[in-house]
Amino acid sequence: MIRALYSAASGMTAEQTNVDNIANNLANASTTAFKARRTQFQDLMYQTIMQPGAQAGTQTVIPAGLQIGLGTRPASNEIIFTQGSFTQTDNPLDLAIQGNGFFQVLQPNGVLAYTRAGTFQLDLNGNVVTAAGDPVQPQITIPPQALSVTIALDGTVSYTQQGTSAAQTAGQIELANFQNPAGLNAMGSNLYSPTDASGQPTVAKPGGPEGLGTLLQGYTEQSNVSVVTEFINLIESQRAYEANSKVVTTADQMYQDVNNLKT
Amino acid sequence: MDPLTSMAASGLRSNLESLDLIANNLANVQTAGFKNDSEFYSLYSASEAEAPVPDDLPRMPVIQRNWTDYSQGDLRQTGMPTDLAISGAGFFTVVGPNGPLYTRNGAFQFTPAGHLVTSEGYPLLGFDGKPIQLDPAQTLNVMPDGTLLQNGALTGRIQPVTFKTMSDLSKQGASLSRFNGPDDSIGPAPGLVLQGRLESSNVEVAGSVVRMVTVQRRFEMLQKSILIGVDMNTAAIQQVAKSGA
Repeated sequence: MIRALYSAASGMTAEQTNVDNIANNLANASTTAFKARRTQFQDLMYQTIMQPGAQAGTQTVIPAGLQIGLGTRPASNEIIFTQGSFTQTDNPLDLAIQGNGFFQVLQPNGVLAYTRAGTFQLDLNGNVVTAAGDPVQPQITIPPQALSVTIALDGTVSYTQQGTSAAQTAGQIELANFQNPAGLNAMGSNLYSPTDASGQPTVAKPGGPEGLGTLLQGYTEQSNVSVVTEFINLIESQRAYEANSKVVTTADQMYQDVNNLKT
Repeated sequence: MDPLTSMAASGLRSNLESLDLIANNLANVQTAGFKNDSEFYSLYSASEAEAPVPDDLPRMPVIQRNWTDYSQGDLRQTGMPTDLAISGAGFFTVVGPNGPLYTRNGAFQFTPAGHLVTSEGYPLLGFDGKPIQLDPAQTLNVMPDGTLLQNGALTGRIQPVTFKTMSDLSKQGASLSRFNGPDDSIGPAPGLVLQGRLESSNVEVAGSVVRMVTVQRRFEMLQKSILIGVDMNTAAIQQVAKSGA
């Protein structure tokens, strides 16, 4: 009896986690380069009520046991690194990665973080920084007298100056990739940090033989959240929650019947 | 206890266990690769309680065992290259801490070492009985026959397995099952391995709720029959006492 109540409660808790995750996906539907997360569920342990092979009488043996499961739990919500679509912005420092890879940025605490949100700006020293002010690594500096900035598919950053026809090279953007990007730790603000599950980053030029994506200048990557899919998940989750709450009601009524045996 | 009360009480207990099974099924309606559990009712008669008249045996309804419905769940497109689903019969074999475990939840992930692992970190086995070894930096293509291709080269093969005696498969939680039967009843399965899909739970919500209503009504009927039995006993005691006086 109490088993049914707790199994249903575990189902309701798991669906709550699922709705939390869906809500976060939907809230970030227009966050640049946001990657949706997907909740995975697993069944919990099983309680053996009747052991298979036990004696049911002097001559009979129970052929298979009775095992009752004790509910569910959310096992993981991994990040789904599919490509988001691109928005044209015409801002020369907006970069989208077409394919695998992450930009490397240096956080104020001196630790590298990884992001796919390529909405960069210049700080007062002419360094290319993120919206939070973290500089891109390797550092790229554009002098104030630069007229136009060009970032090639392979990450070469160049600019032209008044009076010169030849373009000056300002630096090279490098991308990092991980063996298991789904195992990255999301730190918020579009930043990820590596874990033992993701492996250590391999850094290379965009578009090279290492399998990293190419850069698109003047575009940003949209979030890969599919609003339709999230709504379907939301409906499913709500119905599953309702079904579990019905189990709670039924168990309660049956328990009441037991109590009414003694009038 | 008189036979009516003990039989009804045994029925009440069985129906509580039925509700437990239904509750677990409904809790796992979103668990990938989960298979619905059902129960077999049976009559239990203790041999020690052999009555002189065979028809007069006190028989109790019990749930003798549960059985798992291994029918196919819906295959849902996810687009993740490491999500695998089996269409048809078969299970993935993974290396658990105490021997092989079997699952139909194909939500695998790459490790930095190049294995495909479950969310517990148990590696997926190939047809040769060794963990699948891949290059995580390369794109993975999985053919329906389980062949793994990377960069056009063959890097391994997944072989779904099946069992002659499915009832020897016991659920361990975490979407994993253990096989308790003999090794020679494990054999290759004809199921196809589909990439970028996950198998949904095969729990049918409408059917489960109908079963739950049935269980509840059966429970109420048994409760009523106990109350009627009590009334009859009370009447018998009082009437007999009166006529005797």
